[in-house]
Amino acid sequence: MFSWRRLQENSLFLFPSVILTLVLGIYPLLWMLRFMFYDYPGYGDELFVGLDNFERLARDSEFWKSVQNTFVFAAGKLLITIPLSLLLAVLLNKSFRGRNLLRAVYFMPTIISTAVISVVFYIIFNSYNGMVNQLLMKYHLIDQPVPWLGPKYAMLTVILVAAWGAVGNYMLLFLAGLQSIPQDLYESASIDGANAVQRFRYITIPMLGPIMQIIIMLAIIASLKGYESIMVMTDGGPIGKTEVMYLYLYKLLFPVPTGPPVEQQLGYGSAVGFATAIIVGLITAIYYFMTKKMNKVF
Amino acid sequence: MNVQSLSIEKSSARLARTVSRAVIWLFLLATALLTLFPVLMTLSGSLKSNSELMTGGGLLPKVWQFANYSQAWEQTNFARFTWNSLFLSISVTIGTLLVAAMAAYVVDRRQFPGKALYVGVQASTMFISVGAIVLRPQFDLMVKLHLNTSLWGVILILVSAHATTFFILIGFFKAIPRDLDEAAMIDGSGFIRTFYKIILPLLAPGLGISGLFAFRHAWNEYILPLVFTMTNPQLQTLTVGLANLRYGTSAAMQTHLMMAGACLSILPMLLVYMVANKSFMQVTAGSIKG
Repeated sequence: MFSWRRLQENSLFLFPSVILTLVLGIYPLLWMLRFMFYDYPGYGDELFVGLDNFERLARDSEFWKSVQNTFVFAAGKLLITIPLSLLLAVLLNKSFRGRNLLRAVYFMPTIISTAVISVVFYIIFNSYNGMVNQLLMKYHLIDQPVPWLGPKYAMLTVILVAAWGAVGNYMLLFLAGLQSIPQDLYESASIDGANAVQRFRYITIPMLGPIMQIIIMLAIIASLKGYESIMVMTDGGPIGKTEVMYLYLYKLLFPVPTGPPVEQQLGYGSAVGFATAIIVGLITAIYYFMTKKMNKVF
Repeated sequence: MNVQSLSIEKSSARLARTVSRAVIWLFLLATALLTLFPVLMTLSGSLKSNSELMTGGGLLPKVWQFANYSQAWEQTNFARFTWNSLFLSISVTIGTLLVAAMAAYVVDRRQFPGKALYVGVQASTMFISVGAIVLRPQFDLMVKLHLNTSLWGVILILVSAHATTFFILIGFFKAIPRDLDEAAMIDGSGFIRTFYKIILPLLAPGLGISGLFAFRHAWNEYILPLVFTMTNPQLQTLTVGLANLRYGTSAAMQTHLMMAGACLSILPMLLVYMVANKSFMQVTAGSIKG
């Protein structure tokens, strides 16, 4: 049933979405796929160099250091976020007075700007006169100020801040998953004498499997991608201790206030951008195949 | 087993339950306190003097420094930042809703060649991430279109990322019975007229919820406005202006002004959240149920 009128109407309604996606979503990707084979400082000549950028990437120890930092950061964030959010979700999956209020409090960090709250954390964790040290000293938990953003603790601090912003989100996702488990399973298990831990181990975990697989995948991708908070708190420092790969990429393209002026390297930056996307894609794929078993409800 | 030992067993079971309940509550409250801590620190810090912030002190300010806000508002340019943030967020919200609702209408109600491709591309834009590299071609494009001297460049780029809103709205479209728009069409209402007379009003809950999301996203966005306003400080949003205060021109960091500025960014969202936190959670939870 073809008619010009229908075609016109369809085109009219899809036009804004299609044009924006093509020009601002697809075109930049194609641009990157082209320039990763070029030496291009952002102005003047575009010099085709074949795979030179990737050769350089393979030898770029600073980049691989940042990849390593990304894994440490992501692993640390996940190790705090996933168990804590699952535990909170399980505890909030019963009805009791104050439950909705607690849920709203835990979810609150997700509505606050990462950049803004990172500025606040930057002040709070200041080693010289930050509130965290002030409080810990006041109650004599530490004798002298802890350099939270110094070389030794900076990674721990940015992980804690990232976990602070993420727990509520995953708690809510787990809660949605928990609510899809039929209640009669728990009731019949209770009648058979299963205690809370057994019910969690033999009903919750297997029944939650498929949804948990997706939630953890989303969490992995998000923890590999996040660099806004690190950028605000440490700019990757001190001495590159918190430099993650997306921040390393950003610094190839744009200046940061604490750093030296950048000589833009758009060709090499394109190669790095491509490589980071491949790394994230690979990890996601490996995770997906390793956890295939979770997808089955036992 | 005699009666006495039975009652001891019963009361010890009751004790165990009370203890475990107390432990759970302690854990829940401690977590809530840790979650609230930085926000409470920001609220109280914004009303303290700089010297009190430096030397510590209690949760509540010794002397309430409401002047911090007027100082931040006037001297530190937060009036400008707030206006920019509002303009950006409102424009992005309206743009995103309009673009996504129109596309979702056609995709949900009609068959056309390339539909699967369109949906596939929208879905994949949510997952591919090559980081900051895309900002460069986007920026060059905006320079060519002369959209880099205002916030319109940033607005267009944020609206172009409307895939999430599109999929949320598709979900809401499924709940609007097709009979309604078919009946309207039989009565002589055209495709476009049906859209804004019948569909949009019925879509209001979905538009409200995804509008909250789009607004929050734009309001909290940092890196995009940062890059686009580097040579144009007049266009900075709250997030960018605040983060730049870390490298103040004066020797000492003006912590009290930074706290006041952070509050200007956090408080509006917090107030909206207090009224509409169920809506925020509904979408997040819905995204996983599929």
